[in-house]
Amino acid sequence: MIPIVTFARWGNYTIAFKTLFEQLGVKVISPEKTTSQTITEGAKIAPEMYCFPLKVNLGNYLEAIRKGANTIFMATALSGSCRLRYYGIVQDKVLREAGYQPNFIIFDQNLKDIYFKLKKISKASFWQILKAAKFCLRKLRLVEKLEKKAQYIRPREIEKGAIDRLLNEAFLKLEKINKEKDFSNFQKEIFKKVSEIRIDKDRDVPKVGLIGEIYTVCDPIVNFEVEKKLGQKGFEVHREMDLTYHLKKKIFLWKDWIIQKEINPYLRSTVGGHGRDAIYEMLKYTKEGFDGIIHLLPAMCMPEVTVRPILEKIHQESGIPFLSLSLDEQVAEAGINTRLEAFVDVVENYYARKKA
Amino acid sequence: MKVGIPRALIYWKRPYFWENFFENLGLEVLLSPMTNKEIIETGVKTSDPENCFSNKVYWGHLLWLEGKCNFIFVPRLKTNEEKLEYCPKFFGIPDLAKILVKTPILTEIFDERKEKFEKTLEKLGQKLKKTKKEVKEALEKTLLREKEAKEKERKKFFEKISSKKKKIILISHPYNLYDEYINLKMGERLQKLGSEVIFIDEIPANKLQAEWPKFHWEFGKEIMEKIDEILKHEISGAIQISSFACGCDAVLKEFVEKRVKEAKVPFLYLIIDEHTGEAGFQTRLEAFVDTI
Repeated sequence: MIPIVTFARWGNYTIAFKTLFEQLGVKVISPEKTTSQTITEGAKIAPEMYCFPLKVNLGNYLEAIRKGANTIFMATALSGSCRLRYYGIVQDKVLREAGYQPNFIIFDQNLKDIYFKLKKISKASFWQILKAAKFCLRKLRLVEKLEKKAQYIRPREIEKGAIDRLLNEAFLKLEKINKEKDFSNFQKEIFKKVSEIRIDKDRDVPKVGLIGEIYTVCDPIVNFEVEKKLGQKGFEVHREMDLTYHLKKKIFLWKDWIIQKEINPYLRSTVGGHGRDAIYEMLKYTKEGFDGIIHLLPAMCMPEVTVRPILEKIHQESGIPFLSLSLDEQVAEAGINTRLEAFVDVVENYYARKKA
Repeated sequence: MKVGIPRALIYWKRPYFWENFFENLGLEVLLSPMTNKEIIETGVKTSDPENCFSNKVYWGHLLWLEGKCNFIFVPRLKTNEEKLEYCPKFFGIPDLAKILVKTPILTEIFDERKEKFEKTLEKLGQKLKKTKKEVKEALEKTLLREKEAKEKERKKFFEKISSKKKKIILISHPYNLYDEYINLKMGERLQKLGSEVIFIDEIPANKLQAEWPKFHWEFGKEIMEKIDEILKHEISGAIQISSFACGCDAVLKEFVEKRVKEAKVPFLYLIIDEHTGEAGFQTRLEAFVDTI
């Protein structure tokens, strides 16, 4: 059997993951864009009380399996305390019960495990894997950099929607690039185009921090493009949580210690997942004089639900506007929009009062 | 000095241990009453809406104790003596309790990956101005009592397993099994329907590692082991009870169900929360008992 690989979709990072497999010479079927149809399908076969990302993942797999994929690559956190630890096993079990026979490859988030599992499936040499990984990381960084630039430009651009049009185009092109040389040229070109977008530099805009669970925060489709919507309403959105942040924490282990020191008055222990980081980020944004905080989480996410009362306490102490959005298969975009609009009003008032 | 202990969640992990321990240390202990409607209502009102039902009940008990004692004992349970983790929601409970009540919280971190249980108790004793010797004596006395209780349980189990009636095992966390208000007197109901009820806790653990995914949760491993053990006997049915929004059970249920069904034992899964009605519950139990 020739392995045809698929994996769970995760925002624009999907582009980078696809590249990793392509560079190794593995046949890969990239997961399609998540739609409400995908989510419904995934939720149908998923355990009812499991958290939301698992259901979305399952929906992604099903679509890819129908297109011919027979091998699924899934990351888990074998050292964590949250349910991500059991994602692989449960997804494998659920898919089998639904009558599919995928070859499920579960890898832990450490270099050794990833390396050997990649080697086994692609039979590539050490250098090939190293090169592919480097290319993947470069694409990943570019995606993040572009997203960060967009956060700054959106509220300031003179021609509305210019940056989003550019980004859409860029991500489509980026997906097709499969040579590192082309990539370097593309990177230069895209940064030049971004800098050519006309912006009103002096405009003073309210700042909103986006915190919460990493999957929902980083996937614009799952969180109904909260970042873009707020940006177009004239807010500068900041988001520290992304894949690089997560990977950095894996390398610089003392980061956790620093975070713990900062949040000691509120929480004196880990609660699994990125629970502590949410508190840390909220404290940081509050200190930096932000005008609002949005907390995103999959409904019933264990770490985020545990820390939410603490976030609410910080909100009460500091008076900073705070909105917590739980996402699951039953949430509709209209509901999120209404709540966002109300939040926008609150933030604008807060901002105006602060300036006066 | 009066120490309050909420009779919910953590308490049921080691029933009678904490109250005996503090009494043996020479403190006055105030236990919150068995769960009632009022406690659930206050708990649900104050808790985060997406928190699990068992946690909501715990907040209810905590608020009941507010102002009635010098401090409330809320341990931070992290890992047990097998170095397996407790539910991650237990990790943050003392901090959330501090937000909720004004009465001082007495807490200590029980993490046996880093520190022995006895050592942690000594630290706890220090906070109460007790010497190491006093703590040691109190612990020995308490453990003796606990052992007696466990011995009794064992005897009861062998009686039950040799009974001629239909045997049904109830699978859940201790805080759902022993709190009768929460599980709507499940045990009593099943007994009235003419079956012998065996709580998963009463089963002596089978220490052989089964082929199950290695759970890093103490209850996960324990429940799977005990199910393996009980399935060697003749069992008519198995019922699993989960609190609504229990994240751990979402994982556990998948494997419990698979294991029980592989052994061709009828399986019923019930979710309890503050809206669970008695009538609906009774109907489902009757139907289940009829099928087996």
